[in-house]
Amino acid sequence: MIEIKDLTKKFGDFTAVDRLNLTIETGEFFGLLGPNGAGKTTTISMLSTVLLPTSGEIRIDGKVLDRRASSEKKKISVVTQEYSMRQDMTINEVMEYQGRLYYLPKDVRKKKADELLEFAGLTEYRRRVVRHLSGGMKRKLMICRALMTEPEILLLDEPTAGMDALARRQMWNLLRQLQSRNLTILLTTHFIDEAQTLCNRVALMNKGKMDVIDTPDSLIKQLGPYAVDETAKDTLSSRYFADRNSAVEYLSTCNESAALRNTTLEDVFLSRMGRNITSR
Amino acid sequence: MGILAVLWEKWVEFRRDFYKITVSNMMTPLMYLVIFGMGIQTTSHGEPYLNFLIPGVIAMVTMTGSFSAVTQNMSVQRLYEKALDQVMISPTPLWQFLTGQIIGGSLRGLYAGCIVLLLTLPIHTGLIFNGWSFLVMLLNGAVFSTLGLVLSFTAKSYSDAPRYNAFIIMPMSFLCNTFFSTDTMPGGIRQVVMVLPLSQASAMMRTIAAGQPAGFAGFGILLTYLAILGFISFVYIYKKKNL
Repeated sequence: MIEIKDLTKKFGDFTAVDRLNLTIETGEFFGLLGPNGAGKTTTISMLSTVLLPTSGEIRIDGKVLDRRASSEKKKISVVTQEYSMRQDMTINEVMEYQGRLYYLPKDVRKKKADELLEFAGLTEYRRRVVRHLSGGMKRKLMICRALMTEPEILLLDEPTAGMDALARRQMWNLLRQLQSRNLTILLTTHFIDEAQTLCNRVALMNKGKMDVIDTPDSLIKQLGPYAVDETAKDTLSSRYFADRNSAVEYLSTCNESAALRNTTLEDVFLSRMGRNITSR
Repeated sequence: MGILAVLWEKWVEFRRDFYKITVSNMMTPLMYLVIFGMGIQTTSHGEPYLNFLIPGVIAMVTMTGSFSAVTQNMSVQRLYEKALDQVMISPTPLWQFLTGQIIGGSLRGLYAGCIVLLLTLPIHTGLIFNGWSFLVMLLNGAVFSTLGLVLSFTAKSYSDAPRYNAFIIMPMSFLCNTFFSTDTMPGGIRQVVMVLPLSQASAMMRTIAAGQPAGFAGFGILLTYLAILGFISFVYIYKKKNL
């Protein structure tokens, strides 16, 4: 279980994360959503101890997480937004180094690396230097590296960034499989559909502060499960309804470009962040 | 053991760049030895200048070899590749990571020093290099590896590493007992320069090469530097809020 209490991170006068409180249960797939600069990556960086909080604390299974907490850190693996690995190492060497940093015995290192690289379709590239891999392959390698140590907690910061639609779907399937192993996953993503598909609960952050925490279904229900999109001049706006009849009734009063659809988590996100979609 | 993991990483880097590292470690000392030692024929303290120069150059290359190995590697890992993030979250204790970096850097300095020894082997200088010489090389390398760690933790951008070379390493190379004796320096400056680690390492290398025992004072000064810089690097990695 991850417990975040009054977590604050300041860079000079700028507050990147402001008194964040959050509890993520064991086995939960939790999504942290927010616009650019919301504080998601800063939060992940504090969970991975790369950044230390200005105030507040993080507890893993009841124990405070800091840079000395080896036993707690052993439970965590991180897939960072950037390709955080030695660019001049081969895939084999990246996996080997990870295994060594986590004290895995030699036979386990080899077995896990073989399995994961096979699963990710990277076996034939294992002697290739990271610098020469495509963005998608680097991302897959980062996932393989994170899973090599059989973590209890997986922190995923934009894991599908730079992936094509097919690779993203493959990644989703992989993440679903991981969830079934009772792995606690914290995901930050710009793809709201990803969070809606994968996450048990999501939190929306804005300007370093927590806006709301709930299940995707509950958030959609609160906004209204039915949406009517209207296009006026260059602006697309949406109205949300608690029941289908009300939505249909409203639709009949709109011009013919209006359309009825199911509300998504992205609508919740846009609605709470106070933004309109502008078509240009 | 996390230290072994770091040393393995250093070994991978060394193995991959073996020729580049070897040639670059060879070029600078070779130039110094040819130009100052053989080209400009002179004597120092009644002996051929080459006999004065070789121990100093060995001390100097252990400094540059270890410092550049650690500073470049850590600056790139921390600022550009972000590979340090994976180490930070791993269960490897950070003191072991630092110790591995210091040992790895020190060994790179030792390797650079051994290259100079091999280069000067055909010249029959009568200089003596023994276990104490290798200990001085290792210790000097450890001091400058640790300095490299501290500076790479404070670096704001990748371009800071060459600046450290220009402002710290190059002046030390020329002033600290490598090419001329600090005895000729004016009082005040001489005392300051002699307290610097490279001056001590050069002096000890020279004393050992002349067949005399190296004084404990030199080891004490190098160990003091190692302890202070080691402490600072440990504080940085454990306490620095935004690493």
